[in-house]
Amino acid sequence: MKLAYEAEDEAFRAELITFLDQNTPTEVGTRDFGSDGSDGEDIVPEWSRKWQAQLFDAGWMVPAFPPELGGRNCTPVQTLIYLEEIARRGVPRSLHFPGYAIVSPSLLEYGTDEQKKLVPAAVRGDTIWCIGMSEPNAGSDLAGLRTRAEVHDDAFVVNGQKVWTSYAQVAQKCCLYVRTNPDVPKHKGISLLIVDMDTPGIEIRPLRHITGAAEFAEVFFDDVIVPRENLVGDLNDGWRLTQGSLAHERAGLWVEGVARLEQSILALVDLAKRLGADRDPVVRREIAAAYENAASLRALGYKGFASFAQGSSAPEHSYMKMATSEASQAVFELGTKIQGSYGAVVDSERGEENGRWIRGFFTSFAGTIAGGTSQIQRNIIAQRILGLPRS
Amino acid sequence: MDFSLTEDQVLLRDTARGLLVNECPTTMLRDHITDPSAADRLTAHLGEFVGLGGGDLTDLAIFVEELGYVAAPGPFFANTALFAPLLAALGSPLLDDVLEGTTTGTVALAGTDGSWRVNGETRKTFVPEADRVEWIAVVDEGPTVRLTQGLPTRLIERVDTTRRLFDVDTTGEKGETFEINPDALAGAIERATVALSAEMVGTARRMFDMTLQYAKERIQFDVPIGSFQAMQHKLADMSLAIERATSAVQYAAMTLTEDDVDRHRATHVAKAAAGAAVTRAAKDGIQIHGGIGYTWEHDLHLFMRRAYGSETWMGTTGYHHDRLADLLIA
Ligand SMILES: Cc1cc2nc3c(=O)[nH]c(=O)nc-3n(C[C@H](O)[C@H](O)[C@H](O)COP(=O)(O)OP(=O)(O)OC[C@H]3O[C@@H](n4cnc5c(N)ncnc54)[C@H](O)[C@@H]3O)c2cc1C
Repeated sequence: MKLAYEAEDEAFRAELITFLDQNTPTEVGTRDFGSDGSDGEDIVPEWSRKWQAQLFDAGWMVPAFPPELGGRNCTPVQTLIYLEEIARRGVPRSLHFPGYAIVSPSLLEYGTDEQKKLVPAAVRGDTIWCIGMSEPNAGSDLAGLRTRAEVHDDAFVVNGQKVWTSYAQVAQKCCLYVRTNPDVPKHKGISLLIVDMDTPGIEIRPLRHITGAAEFAEVFFDDVIVPRENLVGDLNDGWRLTQGSLAHERAGLWVEGVARLEQSILALVDLAKRLGADRDPVVRREIAAAYENAASLRALGYKGFASFAQGSSAPEHSYMKMATSEASQAVFELGTKIQGSYGAVVDSERGEENGRWIRGFFTSFAGTIAGGTSQIQRNIIAQRILGLPRS
Repeated sequence: MDFSLTEDQVLLRDTARGLLVNECPTTMLRDHITDPSAADRLTAHLGEFVGLGGGDLTDLAIFVEELGYVAAPGPFFANTALFAPLLAALGSPLLDDVLEGTTTGTVALAGTDGSWRVNGETRKTFVPEADRVEWIAVVDEGPTVRLTQGLPTRLIERVDTTRRLFDVDTTGEKGETFEINPDALAGAIERATVALSAEMVGTARRMFDMTLQYAKERIQFDVPIGSFQAMQHKLADMSLAIERATSAVQYAAMTLTEDDVDRHRATHVAKAAAGAAVTRAAKDGIQIHGGIGYTWEHDLHLFMRRAYGSETWMGTTGYHHDRLADLLIA
């Protein structure tokens, strides 16, 4: 047990800091982490595309990857340092995570040689990917998905509908989960296909987020023909692939969530001071409780990282997404409560910080719903970590 | 930033577990309710480990967490987690005797309001195991420390029957008085606070383990109650609270061991997180046990007693949140 890092890891940090100081685009500072982009703003603006490519070319996009995939073969501890530094500065690597974080690792593990060739462009951000999992009747119960893919000798023919598909309107490619065998138990008849978004028969209808911004979409498939070689992994083995995400970074995925939480708490202290609520004993206690939560979650993240780096499984990580998203929701809500009657004002002349707190509170539900709701996370903790029987 | 245990630390933890499973059964905790000498045998066994009082807090925390798991009674905690660090802060030669096991002591600090802040009151409260040690170190305004023997004590009856806290009347001229550096004193109190937090994590873990096992075994409506989602989500939240507290305590122990700038905040975070974990484990633990959990025969209440005894000692969760707010908001 110790707090300090080794000298070579500090050297890695120093090199990263130099790179970030010299290259971070100025637009980064104008993005408010409490929001998900204001109305009309590009989902993936030009500056962020350039920035992602620059990170890739310099080996700073996914540092644990080899240089040809935008990395520098760094160690797990160095990955943690990397994630800490970019989170501390609020620097996003990319404004579209599916390609580098979910698609690439799955293709590297399960893809054919041809499919693996798609990875560099996915990590560099030259290709934007979306993930087609959820459907109107298959959300938490993902295995209940009904989008059909008829299997022919040389192609699949896809019919059905996806929903809440983030980035669909800007993506070139989709990782699409489809039912290829309706006659077996639901987990056993799912396959994963790579689908070009400009294939005839695909219709995309943007859906606006709770905040008003159009960032996800409904996607309809009408006799869409997908070449046979676009099957990832084995036929009907798609369920296993739904579990994929960036294994190199899984142990550090919490870093950004915790860093944002801590930044929000600092901003909450400023807000309370500005409004004279900093002498209110109830407010003081609530801010301290939020800090206690954030600080102990950071410690839990590090503890999980230590077991991960030693090669053991780290159940700690199952708690992190649920706990940080709920903690952040509570902090944004507290920010609105401190403003009293002005808590719901988003008017730039009358409200605080353009409605940062109430908007952030709305946006916080993305964290507690997307990627497995908090209730589903509790089921997983109870059944997989604590070993309780399924209901 | 490395949270992994060293080989020596794993050995220490396993040794503690092996010893305590035999030497601190709940039957002894029950005997101890009316007869404090029931813990003497355990105290004798623990004598081998008093040296931890002079070592790294990270090691002491691992050991006392196991004491918390069995709700160990007796003066070990007062002696190694309170008295020894105070003597170290004082630079007192008596420390060597404590670490060699030739003498023992406790600390009298809190005044009538029970808060662990230096005060000038003559009656000190919540002094642990004051009648089972040789020395009482009385902390007064100045700050000063008076090393005394033979002061009058009175047991304060609390729900916690596993840790005995006393009123101590410190009037009279007994003992030798020393000045103490305020920062060194604060550091000793922080060390004790983090050690107590570690102990509380152990107590929380014990109640959680008992409850998880019960949830898997108890059948109602033809299925284990642990298959009901209301039970599963309670258990998931209990385990999260305990995981958070475990990590917060470990981090705080590291900051104190390494004199890190974050140590003051980390101490308050540790005690508050441990308080939240141990009270949640107690409340949900009893509820999940149902009627059996409400009985005297069932052991759960022994740990629930310890839980609330510890939550209200050396500053409640609310107290530590307020101190944390003072540091954060100023
Ligand atoms: C911002 C955002 C981005 C998204 N992006 C994508 C994307 O890119 N691609 C994609 O495929 N999907 C995406 N989703 C969809 C997301 O994965 C689903 O919304 C999520 O899995 C929940 O499914 P659902 O909306 O159908 O809710 P439901 O599953 O219908 O859940 C409704 C409520 O019931 C509860 N519930 C359901 N089952 C259980 C259970 N077994 N036990 C206890 N409670 C239960 C849930 O917790 C929830 O409170 C996105 C969602 C959001 C909010």
